[in-house]
Amino acid sequence: MTIDRRSFLIGASLLPLVTACGASGSSSSSTAAPLKIGASLPLTGPAADVADPGYKGYQVWQSQINARGGLLGRKVEFVILDDGFDQNTVVSNYNRLISQDRVDLLIGTFSSFLNLPASTVADRNRMLYIEPSGGAADIFSRGHTRLFFSQPGTTDTAHRPFAGYVEGLKERPATAAYLHQDDPSTDVPVQNLRKTFEGLGIKTVYGQKYPPDTKNFDAIANAIRQADPALVVHGALELDGAAVVQAMQRVGFTPPILYQTRAPSSVNTYPKAIGATNTEAIFTAGSWHPAAKYPGNAEFVADYRKQFSQEPSEDAANSYTAVQVLQAGVQAVGKLDQDAIAAWLHANQVDTIVGPLKWDKRGVPDGSLLLMQWQGGKLEVVAPASAATVPSAIAAKPNWAT
Amino acid sequence: MQAVLFGLLVGGVYALASSGLTLIFGVMRIVNLTHGALLIAGAFLTYTICAATGVDPFATIPVVGAVLFGLGWLIHRLVVQRAEHGGEGTVILSTLALAMILEGVIILIWGHEPHSVATSYARSSFRIGDLVFPAAQVYGSACALVLLAALHTLLNRTWLGRAVRAATANPQGAELVGIRVERINVAAFALGAALTGAAGSILAVLSPFTPDSGDQWIGLGLAIVVLGGMGSLGGALVGALALGVIETLTATYGSPAWATAMPFAVIVLTLLLRPQGIFGVRVREDVVSA
Repeated sequence: MTIDRRSFLIGASLLPLVTACGASGSSSSSTAAPLKIGASLPLTGPAADVADPGYKGYQVWQSQINARGGLLGRKVEFVILDDGFDQNTVVSNYNRLISQDRVDLLIGTFSSFLNLPASTVADRNRMLYIEPSGGAADIFSRGHTRLFFSQPGTTDTAHRPFAGYVEGLKERPATAAYLHQDDPSTDVPVQNLRKTFEGLGIKTVYGQKYPPDTKNFDAIANAIRQADPALVVHGALELDGAAVVQAMQRVGFTPPILYQTRAPSSVNTYPKAIGATNTEAIFTAGSWHPAAKYPGNAEFVADYRKQFSQEPSEDAANSYTAVQVLQAGVQAVGKLDQDAIAAWLHANQVDTIVGPLKWDKRGVPDGSLLLMQWQGGKLEVVAPASAATVPSAIAAKPNWAT
Repeated sequence: MQAVLFGLLVGGVYALASSGLTLIFGVMRIVNLTHGALLIAGAFLTYTICAATGVDPFATIPVVGAVLFGLGWLIHRLVVQRAEHGGEGTVILSTLALAMILEGVIILIWGHEPHSVATSYARSSFRIGDLVFPAAQVYGSACALVLLAALHTLLNRTWLGRAVRAATANPQGAELVGIRVERINVAAFALGAALTGAAGSILAVLSPFTPDSGDQWIGLGLAIVVLGGMGSLGGALVGALALGVIETLTATYGSPAWATAMPFAVIVLTLLLRPQGIFGVRVREDVVSA
């Protein structure tokens, strides 16, 4: 048989192609026209499962604000473009939102990967940019004055709740394994935890990272099993969180303490993937809880359930929080003056469904994430005590049920 | 030894997942970039059938294979056959565009959220001595090998198989002896899609998946096809097992960070050192195409 390299070269060269499609609005704004808020979201591609509930969070807020007469007396309309999780596309999308769709306000996208270039476009155009996710330190070190992060803690501080918990244990684990996806939002918290725990005398017996396109975790899980750590710290994003747990189940290793970033917060999919009873005692850090008593939270949860017939996720809550912050700034200033809104946000505290938020000059919030743990089939808050939804944490993880 | 075992088990599934790509390339000389989307379509169909009926996911393979066979037939008739007039590049671009459309359709039907197919054995394992055998991987690999054996029998023991092999080796010669090569192409494409769908059913048991999960499988599939000898099913099996073992050994004794780069390293090394792959044969093109 002949070898046709040309076909393969053409095929291989096309692999990385990512496309985007989008919707548009065309009319320029006027006082009578709807107030347009623009965003580019990764509605297709590897972060689509995060962006989808995020978009729904925006939609819940839109329904609520329009039912109350809109913002500054104008109905709110979202102009949402899809960037397919591509940095070049997110840049062109935000440029288009500003110059072609002529939106009145921008709102951020998902992940540090996309928010980094997208916030630069906003800053160059002197537009306010409130981001629902993307807490990597690089984003806040560029001197942007109209940038605000709408979660209570960033990537730099995400390790603190769990580090504090382990530090407070009477009997700390003797050994730990560290595994994380190669991503800024997982790398930093895991490295910070490792540094903290090694400082506490907890010996590292395994430490690896893996690329986002890793499909098979059995060998990794088996290597962790052989290292036999008392604590496993896993920097996961979404699918990989459940996949690593499944692999540990297959190789028959139950870590006495398991902490994962992000993935356990996906309340609709995580329990189905690993088995509802197997979620018991898994720790994570999060920004929001559905039972939190913060103003507006119960209304958000009820409206989300009513509108989409499913439980809201943390991603939905984060995007809802971002538009809450935007709304607070706009209403306080009373006009669409981007600089004035930014100045007001820097000077004031905003009550949101993730608690009161206040920012430093970089747009970094001064709060901290919550330490959460699956208990009895629900994701509960175990620390800080002021926000706890259960009396205490479960210290040891029960063995996996098959 | 444990790492090699894991590699062989995952390699068995890789073999089935890449067999459709191999078959289609072998017969038609095109890289089918809908491969990943078809794989994930098979996984989502399995999810839906299991959720609706409660049957074992492996039992859905005949139905999923049949649906994907029909879909493959349609894709060839409506897209590939028409694009062929524009040459290989046009066909590849057409399958790329179709892959995006298929992914969009999957999103419309099933949404963006990760899906999993839960079974009683998906999280269990059994031991022989010190070796751990994950049950789902063992059943998945066994199922993949049975399907590949069936395909081997089809290609070597039936008239259709002989026609496919004839069309693969020499399309003009096959036409001369009365084989309708165009029909063989349709059959091979549909059969390739069916095999890919069946692999999707197995993958659905092994890990969670989203509509874009198929993208990860195109590079791996190409590596297996190149390593095995482009178009050789036996080569694809050996190549898949080898890649599974290479990946697993890299993740165990090197770093997981390098494991997913192995398929691409294999493509480069194979094209440099043995362009015809393990089982491929260099053929004088002047003779074949005369």
